[in-house]
Amino acid sequence: MLGWVSAQLPWWVTGPGVGLCVVALYGLINARLGVSGAWLATIAPAEGWRPEPWRRGFLLALVGGSLVAALLGPPVTVHGYGRLSELLPPVVLVPVLLLVGVALGYGSRWAGGCTSGHGMSGCAAGSPDSFAMTVTFFAVAVLVTLALHALTGGRL
Amino acid sequence: MTRGFRWSALGVGAVFGFLLTVSGLGDYHTIHDGLLLKNPYIFLMMASAMAVAFAGLVVLRRVGRTRYAGRLALPHHRIERRHVYGGVVFGLGFGVGATCPGMTIVMTTTGGLYGLVVLVGLLGGLWLRGWVERRQRRPLSTEPTDVPAPVAAPGS
Repeated sequence: MLGWVSAQLPWWVTGPGVGLCVVALYGLINARLGVSGAWLATIAPAEGWRPEPWRRGFLLALVGGSLVAALLGPPVTVHGYGRLSELLPPVVLVPVLLLVGVALGYGSRWAGGCTSGHGMSGCAAGSPDSFAMTVTFFAVAVLVTLALHALTGGRL
Repeated sequence: MTRGFRWSALGVGAVFGFLLTVSGLGDYHTIHDGLLLKNPYIFLMMASAMAVAFAGLVVLRRVGRTRYAGRLALPHHRIERRHVYGGVVFGLGFGVGATCPGMTIVMTTTGGLYGLVVLVGLLGGLWLRGWVERRQRRPLSTEPTDVPAPVAAPGS
């Protein structure tokens, strides 16, 4: 909003930065940094189990840190969903995005982690399950994206 | 949970949320063009994060203990089918929506309010996987999976 930070810092700043976050969480509290696990903690009461107590705080802090970045970054304007919202009217886009969310939630719980938990933290620790999950989801995501690109005649 | 433990999770969460945001990962096109193999940003960021985290963990393993949680115990799990199946489902969501559980937060805080729709779906997907596991009388998946939640009574 204030325009003090650009919309995208170079990868060699942000990549190593999040890598250090992974190391810090292991080194401080022996925990695997994972966002899907943090979201899972928010529905734990509805399922009748008690999540590790740090997870919900971690999620709130993540939202807070993101809000600070949005405040310091370029002006925030309410916008659509990129080329996907140019192609699909809201009445189609909303159900599609709900299904996108369901796939992300279902898949990450099935696999035991998401881009952060398996993709960064688990792979960095050399855990075979994380390599398998990460390779699988990146390969599927690239194939799906290339297929969408072809099917929409390059509009996506 | 000691004060240091709590603040560790909050501090790392806030920095992580900040860095995800200033990476521009909340922008559909950053991820979509990455998955189209047109923009290397997400791959360079991911690879450098893994490399730095890997190097950090080499040091951390030598130290062998954590600041607030005793001896260091990094995840190491063998590959199971669920990592591949879950990865496929997650990859479908990642490919179509060009987002993941963490990036969706960033999308929302930077004005992409359709992110809220994805978040609703995400919570629904996490819940749905738990519902399926209860139906199959398996222990509920939590994250990380080394700390299993108690088996919920069927129908609870």
